[in-house]
Amino acid sequence: MVNLALENQTGGIGAKTRASARTKVVSHGRSGWLLTAPALALMIIILIAPVLIAAGLSFSSYSMGSPNFEWVGWENYENLFTRRTYERMFIATFTYVGVVVPVSVLLGLGAAMLVNSLRWGGEIYKTIYFLPVMAALLAMAIVWEFMLHPTLGIINDTLKSGCDVPFVYGLLTSSWLGGNPASTWYGNACENHFPLWLGDKDYAIWTICFVGIWQAFGFNMVLYLAGLTGVPRELYQAAEMDGARSAWQRFRLVTWPMLGPTTVFVVTITSIRSFQVFDTIEAFYPQGGGPGKTAYVMMFAIYEKAIKQNLIGVGAAITILFLLFVMAVTVTQRWLVERKVHYA
Amino acid sequence: MMGRSNPFSEALKHAVLLFGALIVIAPFYVMVSYSLKSPGEIERNVGGFFGEQAPMVDEKCVKLAEPNREDIAAARAKFLGQNDRAIAAAFKAETVERCTLTPIVFNYTQAFTAAPLLRYLLNGVIVTVSIFFIQIIVALPCAYALSKLRFWGRDVVFGIVIFCLLIPVHAIALPLYIMLSKAGLTNTYAALIVPWTISVFGIFLMRQFFMTVPDDLVDAARMDGMTEFSIVWRVMLPTAVPALLAFAIFSVVAHWNDYFWPRIVVTGNRELFTPPLGLREFRGDADGSMYGPMMATATIIVTPLIVAFLIAQRRFIEGITLSGMK
Repeated sequence: MVNLALENQTGGIGAKTRASARTKVVSHGRSGWLLTAPALALMIIILIAPVLIAAGLSFSSYSMGSPNFEWVGWENYENLFTRRTYERMFIATFTYVGVVVPVSVLLGLGAAMLVNSLRWGGEIYKTIYFLPVMAALLAMAIVWEFMLHPTLGIINDTLKSGCDVPFVYGLLTSSWLGGNPASTWYGNACENHFPLWLGDKDYAIWTICFVGIWQAFGFNMVLYLAGLTGVPRELYQAAEMDGARSAWQRFRLVTWPMLGPTTVFVVTITSIRSFQVFDTIEAFYPQGGGPGKTAYVMMFAIYEKAIKQNLIGVGAAITILFLLFVMAVTVTQRWLVERKVHYA
Repeated sequence: MMGRSNPFSEALKHAVLLFGALIVIAPFYVMVSYSLKSPGEIERNVGGFFGEQAPMVDEKCVKLAEPNREDIAAARAKFLGQNDRAIAAAFKAETVERCTLTPIVFNYTQAFTAAPLLRYLLNGVIVTVSIFFIQIIVALPCAYALSKLRFWGRDVVFGIVIFCLLIPVHAIALPLYIMLSKAGLTNTYAALIVPWTISVFGIFLMRQFFMTVPDDLVDAARMDGMTEFSIVWRVMLPTAVPALLAFAIFSVVAHWNDYFWPRIVVTGNRELFTPPLGLREFRGDADGSMYGPMMATATIIVTPLIVAFLIAQRRFIEGITLSGMK
């Protein structure tokens, strides 16, 4: 379009210049390819080729430095779906994703709504909640490990000191309501001992989920805050006129639908990140997988099987499954976005 | 708008948010506090935030300075008329005095001397800065071509970009590791940098940004006889500074904090450790007395980004949440 206007205005210029101007604007085959070539080459070598290599190796019994190379068909995949270790791997991964994603998204949304409705002080909470996003997760995992230490850590220390405070004890054991303190979690722990957290197979994965949520929800809150600024105020007035009196009704009728696109995005990015959890697991359990392999997530399995034990075939098969999960999440997101998830 | 917020509900909201803030801050508090305290205070969980700062004796320092026979013989002149045992005791008193320092000084000097922390920090800077610049050098021309040039195959290239957005680099760590080790590149800076040189997300982002730059600007530059290459760097780059800044923050935060990839490609060679790897190694050797220095190391590693974030908060939030601007 610009091109045509240009030619009309410069009708007086010689035909030769005009022709050269046209070739310049209409087609840039050479410079187009030259400028995209480095990126294209790197995309193929660094991103696409490895996927194909992983796909190929997942059907082999390859190990590095060993001359034996055999095609084993679907054996690696069969192992993944029959062996106990890998069953634990899937359970750990999906427990983590299944807990961290909904909880950190809901907490993020809740925090954003609260912060947004404050008359003052919202900025301070925003800053604080965003801190874990900036900090190296590995460093913070080590600090959490300190805090969760069964005897020296401040978490059990704080919980224990609550046992001697009648107010806290009464509140947490329901003894005020005439309940039996020993039948509650807190009362029982006061009588006996507080959990080992990371060392106890009934608590380990949940504790790791907690650290994951701690790290992720501030990011989600910030995305939701951005989403909330896009909700037109008139909609709330309109909803109120239509009889949406309670805050819950306004939320259900206006805020939640308007935040649809944000939610889709937040869920996607949190899922992809949660699938990739590694730092905390490796920091807590360098020797592998936690008590009873309850925290044996996929990224750690790839690292342990393929890199440490040199079982490349199995590692490649896990890689491929992992990619399939992540791609499924992203493709679902794009599909939802194209369907325009906001109902307004 | 959301409710007429009476003082009671306002106070309740603050209470809830404050409780959340306490949990969020707790590890940072513990980290900094432990980095200031003596081993005994850490173990017994006493001393509040700063600890007593009572002078403590660094046992390792004393052990290192243990006098041997020659030292004692050489010092006879100094301590005239005393027997060897008394000289040794005098030596000991001297070293103990020299090795006595406050916990805060002990922790932070240990952080830098027990492991080459400065080297780790330097590596962190080298790696993150190289990654960012290469990403820009690769992504900017591509983004320009995809947004402002018409050429055969452009849609295919863009399709590849969109497809590659589906592939997280961490997920394909294994084949990348195999490729790098076949090329003999593990345990080099290249191994730390190469996989990140292509940021498909950066290309996508810059393309979206360039779409908003008027074509007239590019046409005018062509009229002036600029080549496409110089248009990228002399016309498009300056217009893209805000977007680039946001991308820089995104990229630097991700790679300064990255632990998984360095863990895979750097094995044993301390010269190449990035800050998180260094901290991890520290943890591996740490016994009870080294908790303080370890927390000091953690504090040092985490501080640069936190401080930068506190100074330029809005820009950081913009940069980190950049991936949301679709």
